[in-house]
Amino acid sequence: MNPVYVVMIINLIIWAGIFGYMLNLSKHMSALRKKLNKLSDNEH
Amino acid sequence: MVKKIWNTILFVWMSGVIVGAFIWATQQKALKEYTRIIYFHVPVSWITVLAFLIAAVYSFLYLKKRLLKYDAYAEAANQLGFLFAVLATVTGSIWAKVSWGTFWNWDPRETSIFILLLIYAAYFALRSAIEEQDRRAILSSVYAILAFVTVPFFVFIVPRIYFSLHPDPVINQTGEVNMDFKQRVVFFSSLITFTAVFVWMLKTKFEIAVMRLRIKKLEREK
Repeated sequence: MNPVYVVMIINLIIWAGIFGYMLNLSKHMSALRKKLNKLSDNEH
Repeated sequence: MVKKIWNTILFVWMSGVIVGAFIWATQQKALKEYTRIIYFHVPVSWITVLAFLIAAVYSFLYLKKRLLKYDAYAEAANQLGFLFAVLATVTGSIWAKVSWGTFWNWDPRETSIFILLLIYAAYFALRSAIEEQDRRAILSSVYAILAFVTVPFFVFIVPRIYFSLHPDPVINQTGEVNMDFKQRVVFFSSLITFTAVFVWMLKTKFEIAVMRLRIKKLEREK
């Protein structure tokens, strides 16, 4: 296999990893935001 | 729904840039196989300057309005700027190895990015050294503005004053982009996509900063 393809695949895997991490983070943050909103509502 | 569409476009676009850079784009005569590093090194360098600029703007806004969220935004932008500066240094160093035969030779461009990294590392040291929130915000805002003043000097002026092996930047003295059509397509797509990824990261960091402030406020109220 041409080494250029190997490097390209590694790059694609790294990008997919960063993208997946960012998506996961966004999901967790939405959940946390909802929790915080609830807490703030209870406080007031 | 709109967010999902944007995310899908971003994922496909960046994947396209990677595939385009490695397979589709032609090679520069002088650089040959190493041409590809341009599509990654230049965008991360551009984002470094952009992030530090955003940090300086938010620092200025904090000093003007005294809202802690602006200080938190400035810190977030500086953190990302520092990360991208490290990436620019690493990719530049790899480029130096294949072009000049050594990873590091204290070329004016390398020296200037090294000093810039030290300046911004000092910003984080300053923040961690002060416990009182408002005092930390004021001092680090002033420092972030002063630090940004050095950015154009180290990034654009120093490498032009002294002889440097670094190739002409995209915005050069002749005002021309020395690339063929395919290279331009991949290069500018890469610039746009990297900027979009950076905006996404920055927005996420801003949200985290705001949530942290909200949690602190809730804890104080309890």
